[in-house]
Amino acid sequence: MTLSRHDLFDDVAVRLDGVSLRYDTSEDILSGIDLVLKPGSFSFLTGASGAGKTSLLKLLYLALKPSQGEVSLFGRPTSRLTRDQLSALRRRVGVVFQEFRLLDHLTAYENVALPLRVLGRKESTYRSDVEELLAWVGLGERMHARPPTLSGGEQQRVAIARAVVTQPDILIADEPTGNVDPEMGSRLMRLFLELNKRRATTVIIATHDLGLVRQVEAPVFRLQHGLLVQDVEYGPVARRRTDIAKAAE
Amino acid sequence: MAKETPLLPVEDAREMALFFVVGALCFLAALATLSAKSTYGAARSWTAEVEGELTVSLPDADRRGAESARKLIEATEGVKEARLLSKAEIDALLEPNFGSRGLPESLPLPQLIAVTAEPDAQFIGPTLERRLTEAGFANAVDEHADWAGDVRRMLAIARLVALTAVALLASTAVAVIAFATHAALLARRDIVDVLHLAGARDRYIAGLFERRFWLLGLRAGAVGALLALGAAAAMIFAVHSSGARTGLLPELSLDFQDLLILVLTPVIAGLAARIAARVTVIRSLKSVM
Repeated sequence: MTLSRHDLFDDVAVRLDGVSLRYDTSEDILSGIDLVLKPGSFSFLTGASGAGKTSLLKLLYLALKPSQGEVSLFGRPTSRLTRDQLSALRRRVGVVFQEFRLLDHLTAYENVALPLRVLGRKESTYRSDVEELLAWVGLGERMHARPPTLSGGEQQRVAIARAVVTQPDILIADEPTGNVDPEMGSRLMRLFLELNKRRATTVIIATHDLGLVRQVEAPVFRLQHGLLVQDVEYGPVARRRTDIAKAAE
Repeated sequence: MAKETPLLPVEDAREMALFFVVGALCFLAALATLSAKSTYGAARSWTAEVEGELTVSLPDADRRGAESARKLIEATEGVKEARLLSKAEIDALLEPNFGSRGLPESLPLPQLIAVTAEPDAQFIGPTLERRLTEAGFANAVDEHADWAGDVRRMLAIARLVALTAVALLASTAVAVIAFATHAALLARRDIVDVLHLAGARDRYIAGLFERRFWLLGLRAGAVGALLALGAAAAMIFAVHSSGARTGLLPELSLDFQDLLILVLTPVIAGLAARIAARVTVIRSLKSVM
């Protein structure tokens, strides 16, 4: 099966049908999750610590198989794909991990370029793009530093640059602004929004930061006791309600 | 831009230990292979020399009688040549037992006839025995082929032992490398996971480990082979320079085939390491999504 950019225009970028997840013999972490993310959508995922946000994201970036149900990306049920086909799908998904997962023996530049290296691209073809991206996230001067010498915020920015360097069709970010100051947080959000608007990248961001959620008019999904609900307290519906109330005053 | 950093970091301590183990195994395997080959060559050389050779001993005959017996033997079908040994030759044969001062004239010695049979002659020993007895000669026929058979059997066992040693050493090396690959994979799980989630195919990840262990096997094998070459050369030098009798060591030399074995040792070690690494990584990756 060949996956092409045209798949971006499939009806659905991500679909979860009755997905449950449990580790070993424990109780279900996630239970009967149904979720549809349209191509080019922007969503937030919230929930208390331990609610299963990271587990749900792992299902989305194909690091875990569901115990029950089906995860489909770009209209393709992943349970029916070969390993090579799964790898091809993963190349279309950029991930910002909560714990960054940078490779300590590589420089910031090499960490960002890693997905391009995996694709087999020659360094000369992406050097300027990677340097530009690093400069954009404020690390132009530190591109040859290795992660252990970078601050938490700098590492986070390297992780974000690595996730977006291939201009993925889906961007999944787990607490992407947790270690940066508000100004950098807003700047990174603008990057995500730009990717979403310019390239119709489907973005889903897991966060505790309600300030971040309020910045964007986007649906908010909340995980509660293993179940996924659409949050009405934040997001576009709540925002509209607040606006109406303000106008009435 | 500087050269790209390898995706798998070099792990000095662990890889040095593995390098030492693989090098030592290659050294032993190369020596065992050289021994097996040398044993095979020795067996061929020894048996080729004695096959078709017989010695007829005439305890009661004088020189004239022995000469008659020689003619009788030579006239027998299947005999290529029969030669009566001189007194000096008999003395030389007995020298290791009685010393170089010569034997007393009064000591009764049998007359000896060295017989060479035609290559396709069969049962020549019993035929000669029968004809000499019929002609009134007390005799004893020593067929060297009997001794050659014993030598062949002994050398076949020695060869089998050497080949078993080679096979065991090779499989030990493969097992050690597979174990080391697995350990490296576990130690580098973080890197493997990141590559995997970045869309790297299994064979791409396996390729990183394959290259690493191919080079390690190649280098360790080269060191092992060089040490084996040194050991073999030292052994040959010691034997030849000691002035010892080397008649029993006809193949103790380094020829083209021996050098080929030594050249192939690192290549085989590298390939074995590469295959072991590939199988281990692919198998391990299949356990994750």
